[in-house]
Amino acid sequence: MRALLRWVGRHLSVDRPSPLVKQSATVVAVGVATLIVLVVPEIDFTNLVTGLAGLAIIAGATAIAAIFTRVPRLARYALLIPALDILGIGAFRDGTGGTTSLFGSLVILPVVWLAAAEGRRYIVYAGLGTSVALMLPYLLSLTIPQTPPEWLRGVFAPLIFATAAGIINELARQSRVQMRAISQMADDKEQMLQKTVEFAAQLQESERKFRAADRMFRGVWAAVTEQSVIGTDVTGLIDAWNPGATRLLGPTAAEAEDKLHIFDFHVEDELEARARELNYPPGATVLNPGFSALVESARLGHAESREWHYLRSDGTTIPVLLSVTARVNEKGEVIGYLFVASDQTQAREVAKLKDEFVGLISHELRTPLSSILGYLELMRDDDEHPLSTEQLQYLGVAERNAHRLLRLVGDLLFTAQVESGKFPLDSRDVELESIIASSVESAEPAAAAAGITLVREGSAGPAVVFGDPVRLGQACDNLISNAVKFTPRGGTITVSLATTATDAVITVKDTGMGIAASELDQLFARFFRASTATRNAVPGVGLGLTITKAIITAHHGEMDVQSEEGVGTSFSVTLPLAAVSATA
Amino acid sequence: MTHTVVVADDDPDIRALVRISVTRAGLHVVADVEDGAAALAAIREYDPDLAILDVSMPELSGIEVCRAVRADVAIGDVRILLLSASVDEAAQREGLDAGADYYLAKPFSPRDLVAWLSVGKEAR
Repeated sequence: MRALLRWVGRHLSVDRPSPLVKQSATVVAVGVATLIVLVVPEIDFTNLVTGLAGLAIIAGATAIAAIFTRVPRLARYALLIPALDILGIGAFRDGTGGTTSLFGSLVILPVVWLAAAEGRRYIVYAGLGTSVALMLPYLLSLTIPQTPPEWLRGVFAPLIFATAAGIINELARQSRVQMRAISQMADDKEQMLQKTVEFAAQLQESERKFRAADRMFRGVWAAVTEQSVIGTDVTGLIDAWNPGATRLLGPTAAEAEDKLHIFDFHVEDELEARARELNYPPGATVLNPGFSALVESARLGHAESREWHYLRSDGTTIPVLLSVTARVNEKGEVIGYLFVASDQTQAREVAKLKDEFVGLISHELRTPLSSILGYLELMRDDDEHPLSTEQLQYLGVAERNAHRLLRLVGDLLFTAQVESGKFPLDSRDVELESIIASSVESAEPAAAAAGITLVREGSAGPAVVFGDPVRLGQACDNLISNAVKFTPRGGTITVSLATTATDAVITVKDTGMGIAASELDQLFARFFRASTATRNAVPGVGLGLTITKAIITAHHGEMDVQSEEGVGTSFSVTLPLAAVSATA
Repeated sequence: MTHTVVVADDDPDIRALVRISVTRAGLHVVADVEDGAAALAAIREYDPDLAILDVSMPELSGIEVCRAVRADVAIGDVRILLLSASVDEAAQREGLDAGADYYLAKPFSPRDLVAWLSVGKEAR
């Protein structure tokens, strides 16, 4: 196709023939004419001078044509050649009989050349040129035509030539227009072809990049064997299934893709429970309601991690931590979901072992403590052999320390329960004022013994929260007993209760040794002990605040602390009021 | 008439402590065993007025013994006191649901146990 277009372009172009090629027709015709003059006896030069001059002019024009052919930048003066030809032929005609010459018709050749040039003015030039050529005998002899036929010879023939020139000019023009159109089309095609080639190259490059990315992705996809990665469309139909999913659940990608739904691998009861949690009215969705529940958060644009059970192909279930994310197209519309699950069996096992261990330790510590405390009590209560005052004092020390150990075991067990999320709360509406009152009351003896003033500031109104009175009491006890421990003799502890529109705020403020600012953020960490506590030999293991914070958090409350070393510390607990938490 | 008691605990010291408390309250220990299966056998054998059972024992737990006793129509009306080192409220509820009359958490005060036993004896 390209070769054909090139061929058309090369061979049908009007402007392409070189000046020498164009001149060749005239040269051949004049050559033949000269031969006739030399050979045919009846035909001879009537005026040798003008005849030879004519041939010389044509020879000159041919030489110029040769030069112009060699030097293309001179090509724009090429019309000088047919002009000279016309003059030369005029002279040759004059030399071979003038008006009676056989060779007047030769003039048609340069006229055609001239006429074919672009522009209407060349018609006039051709006419005038012909006229000059035909009237050349008069011009050369400096005579004026006398008779009308003589005049007409200079007008009529040129008029015919001019008309022919006009027709040629027009035909050439049309031809040029067509050629330009063809040439334009050829150029366009060439450009398009070029673009296609470039595009193909680009395509190849992006394909190469795509293949590299694809290989990378496939490598990663196949390497993830510890996580199950499953992709679905918006209805839950599986369209992607990694080796990890096969490992975790059983089916191969070929068995799962486009055949099974993600909810085929979920425990139905769990999905239903979740749907109920989300308050889906029955039949509210066209999709499987369990599936809707599963992707609820992801659909709303939040990635969600939650514990579920996967159903394996062998019928067993397996605990998994499942992250659900939405897959979106370039317009941001959800086109499906991605489910990444990791096996929680081991994590569960570890948690269970830890629970068992804590339970065992707690049991094994409490049993000997039971014996110690029980037998100590028997000694104290032995009416037959009453103990001396001194012995009773020793017994008191032993009992106090046994109780201290017992509390520690209790705290450890409680901390373990908090960590494993098993936090037993027996919640009901609780009046905080009374809880604070009893905590303050039970701390009174210790405060009095340490020479500390315990001040209680009442609230303006009732502060009822929904919570476990025992645990809340434990939290208050911890805060107040902490304050007692950390306040030197002569100090003051102020316990106050205030309410806002939504919350109750309990504040325990002391004038104690305070906590360094750099340690405040570690304060609630397990086994953390402030440097001021160790420096001042305040007893404790660092579980009190961890437990207190856990209790408050379980009640949807917050804990805050402000402290200045050497000035005092203020703990505040904010708990949502019952009326508020009920509507929340 | 002396009230009869079966005591079961795998810890001999605790068992002795319970025995002392029972004796002080004026009751009579007819059997003193260290596992659940033996406790159940002793209850069947002696048909006691009271069984004091530790919750975590080998063979059968105190709760399992409790269930077996309540399920066995051949065993007469025996009061059951469960002793446990667990402070878990759920465990306590489980014990009472299994048919125990009372649940005492370790460490317990022998003084309180004696008082409870004495009151129980009077109520009979």
